[in-house]
Amino acid sequence: MSEELRQSLEARLPALLGGPVQISKLSRLAGGASMEAWALEVRAPSGPFSLVLRRAAGGRIYQDALSLEHEHALVAEAHRSGVKVPRPYGFLPDLLGHDAFLMDRLRGETVGRRIVRLPELARARAALPAQMAEELARIHALDPARLPFLPGTGAGSPARRAIEGLVAQLDSVGEPHPAIELGIGWLRENLRDTGPAAVVHGDFRIGNLVVGPDGLVGVLDWEFARVGDALEDVAWPLVKAWRFGVDRLRLGGISDERAMIDRYVEITGRKVDPRDLHAYELLGNVRWAVGSLQQAQRHLRGEEKSVELAILGRLACEVEHEILQLLEAP
Amino acid sequence: MPDRPTALELLEAVRGFLETEVAKGATDPRLRFRALVAANALSIAGRELIADEASSSAEARLLRELLGEAPSGAPPAQEALALSSELCRRIRAGTAPRDTPGAIRRIVEGKLAAASPRYLERKR
Repeated sequence: MSEELRQSLEARLPALLGGPVQISKLSRLAGGASMEAWALEVRAPSGPFSLVLRRAAGGRIYQDALSLEHEHALVAEAHRSGVKVPRPYGFLPDLLGHDAFLMDRLRGETVGRRIVRLPELARARAALPAQMAEELARIHALDPARLPFLPGTGAGSPARRAIEGLVAQLDSVGEPHPAIELGIGWLRENLRDTGPAAVVHGDFRIGNLVVGPDGLVGVLDWEFARVGDALEDVAWPLVKAWRFGVDRLRLGGISDERAMIDRYVEITGRKVDPRDLHAYELLGNVRWAVGSLQQAQRHLRGEEKSVELAILGRLACEVEHEILQLLEAP
Repeated sequence: MPDRPTALELLEAVRGFLETEVAKGATDPRLRFRALVAANALSIAGRELIADEASSSAEARLLRELLGEAPSGAPPAQEALALSSELCRRIRAGTAPRDTPGAIRRIVEGKLAAASPRYLERKR
């Protein structure tokens, strides 16, 4: 596989990097569920490049995930607008049968368990809350009109759309989950739009951020971006599943959320009502509970056989428990 | 009733992993042998599990009491599934019994005891 891929890339990279190229290294990185990732070292006339190739693999995790072509266009727009993202080098349709795109490889740590624990990242953990707020503010300032392919661009309430989207996804799983139903019922009563619809990243959390010794290096994994309520992104990194075992630090196991929220309010001028933040944290937990069940379904339906996907079906009850906790403490 | 994948389906997933990925990919014949033995052990555990219906029985009883239903006579896992679906329907319709949150909490704690016992310990 990798020799075939190398030849195919050597034929197509000159158009993107300007001139003849030589790939000195090509290795598969541990990929996500629906995506392959490859690390490349490339020599080109304009210099050496350390790159990552993202390439489609199996099916999609959520119905609303962006195609690689749209994800590339979004990352390019974010890059132009000064969001910290890997610099994109171009979309490669049909690279040996699957779409792919090429971007810079950022140096740093992405594994959540390490980010919350490594002593050498203590300085990064102190800087991250404000830095996360700054990137969120930049993302939420992107112009949805320039990104017409994003889901959720229609009229109507983003909060309603978020809830009804999750109901449809839960129904597609086809299992009864009373705890999730309770959460959805509460959200129908309490989740409200908190401002004009904005471009939201959709998976902004520890684990999808590249972290170096000084903190945030880049924001990865844009495939769940959509137009929605900005608080969806602000509350998502608080979801307990993304604290990597350091539960008392509500912001991703690295800090309490105060520093991030204060900085976000300061830059954007948006008000963040604690009751709304609570409601959107509950929405995030419902989203992850449903997402876990959907991923297990991929294994059960044979779309992608994987012990790692299968186990998520049984860990969803952790998220259900958290939903019940949040319902008791409004 | 546990969520899917059920215990049996999880055993089957790991058994498949041991047989196809570990055993086939192993260059060390002893590792290959042990992987096949481990796969067989999971098959045995799976067969024993089929007999164990205690947790579904407990969930079915809880849901029967909550919803005021008589025992249906169906196997416990099937009864729990039907009652759980009925409870979901009532929650969506806004007609769930008052004790619903407490009953759901006990059911979710039961699921955690099987799927993630350390999660509940961490809470305390």
